[in-house]
Amino acid sequence: MTHAERADPATGAACSTEPGCITCGDVAVVLTVALVDGCDARCRDGQGREELVATELVGDVRPGDRVLVHAGVAIERLTPTGRHE
Amino acid sequence: MRFVDEFRDAALAEVLGREITALCEPGRHYKVMEVCGGHTHTIYRYGVQDHLPEAIELVHGPGCPVCVIPMGRVDDGIAIAEREDVVLTCFGDMMRVPGGRGSFLDANARGADIRMVYSPLDALRIARQNPDRQIVFYAIGFETTAPSTALTVLRAAAERIENFSVFCNHVTIIPAIKAILDSPDLRLDAFLGPGHVSTVIGCRPYEWISRDFGMPLVCAGFEPLDLLQSVYMIMKQFAEGRAEVENQYGRVVQYDGNPVALKVLSDVFTLRPFFEWRGLGSIAHSALQLSPTYARYDAELRYELPGVRVADPKACQCGEVLKGVLKPWECKVFGTACTPETPIGTCMVSSEGACAAYYNYGQYAKQRLSLEVLQ
Repeated sequence: MTHAERADPATGAACSTEPGCITCGDVAVVLTVALVDGCDARCRDGQGREELVATELVGDVRPGDRVLVHAGVAIERLTPTGRHE
Repeated sequence: MRFVDEFRDAALAEVLGREITALCEPGRHYKVMEVCGGHTHTIYRYGVQDHLPEAIELVHGPGCPVCVIPMGRVDDGIAIAEREDVVLTCFGDMMRVPGGRGSFLDANARGADIRMVYSPLDALRIARQNPDRQIVFYAIGFETTAPSTALTVLRAAAERIENFSVFCNHVTIIPAIKAILDSPDLRLDAFLGPGHVSTVIGCRPYEWISRDFGMPLVCAGFEPLDLLQSVYMIMKQFAEGRAEVENQYGRVVQYDGNPVALKVLSDVFTLRPFFEWRGLGSIAHSALQLSPTYARYDAELRYELPGVRVADPKACQCGEVLKGVLKPWECKVFGTACTPETPIGTCMVSSEGACAAYYNYGQYAKQRLSLEVLQ
């Protein structure tokens, strides 16, 4: 998948010169881990699109975990209930 | 869509709007600054202000990372990219930001090799694939983005990739908020805190705002109901005579942030003594540079840069817009000489810039649409 195809599932925004770049600002997307490969994981969005995500900053992840991804890097792991204590 | 649809419910928005109105003290005007450009985008895209009473004014802050890049730093990037052996990589929004010598797109038209990437890790991949070229990543962004750059530097070091470097323009949000609070131009009552920056730094770094300035700050998510609920939490604090830091975005943000990301940031970066922000001027300890341990990846040390300060175009009032002193439509060139197609100021370049967001989704767009229908 190229960067231009990696659209924000919520807004349809993609990284491009057109309005709506998801990487440049304080914008991140929630993806689900599909496959773990060392420090990286293949993650899927709600539409089934995949991207490779670096996971060093959130510790060990497993398939099914939901992570907040910004610029190809997971910056937080979300709890199953969707709420941190 | 789960975790999205439930935060865009119009009926719930109306209920929240009524409850917010009920909390307003009669005759009082509330100025609430959303620090983050992502919030500005949501506010205009979904008409969040339409659900709020007139007594509450949302003021747009400096939280669009593209918008605060001074023109001289764009020129520095172009100077690096004009070297024959260099491929400059950057996020998409940066491509159209005007510098004193045009934008990165203009530089490409003149023969430079500047490529958009989705992640700094993509820049590192280009470095692996092109060992005979120097790959420079033009890093921008707040604490949300800086960890991805730091992680990329760590991977470059681990793999001993030496044809990769970073031109670092990462900035930090707390000094910018302090500069706004110290500004004599603006009186604010409360803040909507940046949700994803807070994912990394947590909520604790904002506590001085409540303690020293007596102002509520609520870390907010990015859906329309997130913002309305956050405004409700702020108004509840006013009604109960409290001034605290609260976390509305609990499904993502932990109060102490992400300790691993913070450790990586402190390992790879140090604070610059000063950094110039467009609109806010030079702010002490407000930006990051590579630490001595990783200085060999610092493009500013690897290349000679013009380093010239370039004044903004006289007609452009981005500075006032970034500080929330002016609304986008109050700028003299908004929607006429300055549009998303032909931006003069940075606030019109990025979709998160207040001017572009208002142009694309705000009343101005509605007026243009109705004019087009009439014609």
